Amino acid sequence: MNEPALTLDASIAPLTVRPTTIQLFRFSAATWNAHRIHYDQTYARHEGYPDVLVQSHLHGCFLSRAVRQWAPAGSVLRRLRWENRGIAVPGDELTVTGTITSIELADDGGGRVVQIALEEHNQDDELCARGSAEVLVAEGGGDG
Amino acid sequence: MSEHITGQYELLQTVVGTENTTRLGHLSEMDFSRFATAAGIDPADGADPAVAPHLYLGSVMGWGAGAPEADLAVDGTSTTETRGFPLTGVRLMGAGQDLEFHTPVRAGMEVTETTRLDDVQLKEGSSGQFITLHLVRRFRDENGTLLLTCRETFIGR
Repeated sequence: MNEPALTLDASIAPLTVRPTTIQLFRFSAATWNAHRIHYDQTYARHEGYPDVLVQSHLHGCFLSRAVRQWAPAGSVLRRLRWENRGIAVPGDELTVTGTITSIELADDGGGRVVQIALEEHNQDDELCARGSAEVLVAEGGGDG
Repeated sequence: MSEHITGQYELLQTVVGTENTTRLGHLSEMDFSRFATAAGIDPADGADPAVAPHLYLGSVMGWGAGAPEADLAVDGTSTTETRGFPLTGVRLMGAGQDLEFHTPVRAGMEVTETTRLDDVQLKEGSSGQFITLHLVRRFRDENGTLLLTCRETFIGR
């Protein structure tokens, strides 16, 4: 398996997902989230939304998956931040992109600490979430 | 409605800075797996099923049996699933998190959560008043080892 580029301003491989109503229902169940806005279309429309909404935390999971998909073997995700900036509904095509913004030696010299800026857009290029991740890449991990 | 939001804001101001500690119980590998499946995490990616996905602890809204349906708000939520804050008739939506992963979270751990409301603000938007809540949640295992720090923002309308 090719190691990803570990250079400043390099992009991580995009992750594209298309959440479904079943996924939203199961995510609500797995997180004990009874908020109707995520599984009751009539209620969501009553609230003024076009459909049930992708959960805030599920957007976070998509960002996390993109980082995990990129990260060289042995990497450790140390921090993940995101802000929800726009809604998403089932059937939307959401694409997570990321850019390496910083690479520093770890304090103990055991690897490099990589900062990644993340964004998630829908099929109309509207921003749904923005965030960042901090990954400890083990010595020898990554190509660069 | 704006009077109601103002009232909830004033109520929340009285609990800013106070900490609540809750025992969440023992964590289960099955719950991890269900979360991973729902989040679309590929089981073939080699993750240890006995270790929780990174966002698991911070995403779960309720850890107990839950309130009877008759006690739920019209939107389906209850205070036990809104981080325990005294919110009545406020529609709460997650707006993001800042997660620091200190220690891998493993099945069988007995976890305790300490929640503190750091700040609450009353704001004016295009569709009326709303409140923002900034809280910090810290999760520890039975030995007091810090597992996760979760700084979280909610919007209440």
